[in-house]
Amino acid sequence: MAGEDPKQDNLFFKLRALFLATFTISCTANSGYAILAVMKDDFVNKRKWLTEEEMADYIAIVQSTPGPMAVSSSTVVGYHVAGFAGALAAVLGVILPPFLVMIAVTVFYEAIVGNPYVVLFLRGMQMGVVAMLFDVIIGLFRNATDKGGAYPYVIMVLAFLYVRFTGCSIAWLVLACIAAGIAKALLVKRQEDLR
Amino acid sequence: MILVIQVFLAFVRIGFMVFGGAYAAIPIVEHEVVVSQGWMSYAEFMDLLALDEITPGPILINSATFVGMRVAGIPGAIAATLGCIAAPVIVALVLLYIFRRYKNTPLVQSIMTSLKCMAVALIASTMIKLGVAAIAPEAPTIELLYSVYVCAVIALAFYLMHVKKLGPLPVMLGCGLLNLLVSGFIL
Repeated sequence: MAGEDPKQDNLFFKLRALFLATFTISCTANSGYAILAVMKDDFVNKRKWLTEEEMADYIAIVQSTPGPMAVSSSTVVGYHVAGFAGALAAVLGVILPPFLVMIAVTVFYEAIVGNPYVVLFLRGMQMGVVAMLFDVIIGLFRNATDKGGAYPYVIMVLAFLYVRFTGCSIAWLVLACIAAGIAKALLVKRQEDLR
Repeated sequence: MILVIQVFLAFVRIGFMVFGGAYAAIPIVEHEVVVSQGWMSYAEFMDLLALDEITPGPILINSATFVGMRVAGIPGAIAATLGCIAAPVIVALVLLYIFRRYKNTPLVQSIMTSLKCMAVALIASTMIKLGVAAIAPEAPTIELLYSVYVCAVIALAFYLMHVKKLGPLPVMLGCGLLNLLVSGFIL
């Protein structure tokens, strides 16, 4: 408002919002999916920084990236909202809480693990996590199947069987899914050419 | 100083190898830190896993900070944390670039559809693992009353999030408080 360049104000505001959002999320959530779900709620539903469709694409990108999902999702969403600086602000926000807490926790280890109330609170949060994952799955499922056809269902079932029963690396699954996507695109193109 | 660089490089390597969510990080950290480098004993590693469960944030960051701290103090903790975020940040930016550039081609659309389907499968698998662990924590022994109670909490949380459109954060904190009250004072 007072600044000469309103865009600059805007960028600062966005960076601060990104940092605070990922910082808050990281303080409370323990898994990458929890972070994705809270980001979706905050950035898609409340702030309207991204559309549902963009978020679904980003979840797919994050799934194909190695390392903690919290970090890759912060990178992608931060970059989408405010470019490279946005990615940095979001990643910084997400790594600071575990970093600081873990340094403190190394010092007070015995007292924390021994507290039964802490354990009960965490168990309750785990129940909420299960419900939240189900909510995430429903949104993603609708988005992946909205173009119709049997193809998405086949990939889902095969991928599920792979992760559930083989115990092999997810890296292979990512490569296989990319290969399947390429094969399907080529097949569709060939059919169109024949017509 | 050499130790700090070694810690950094070890966690860069770990970062590139972890695919498929938080729990996938555990065996890879174990291999690098306990088996290859011998920085920790198995007993210490088990301590680390317990700590991961009760601290906020991604397991890999927690582990990196803990291991770095143990091996080389605060500089080690910083080096390890920065090391393990290198892979996700770089790869995510590269993939995002490729995706944006070729977004509207049928080829990339088809690949994205496949990856979305994979995401559904991966999340479903994690959900089942966590769900079973929550409903029957002392498996194979199942305490029926407790399992029914957990299912009810999960259903209530899902209803609040999916139908009532409440954010996941307040719902999860609510679940924590609820369980503290119910399991702590009633059951």
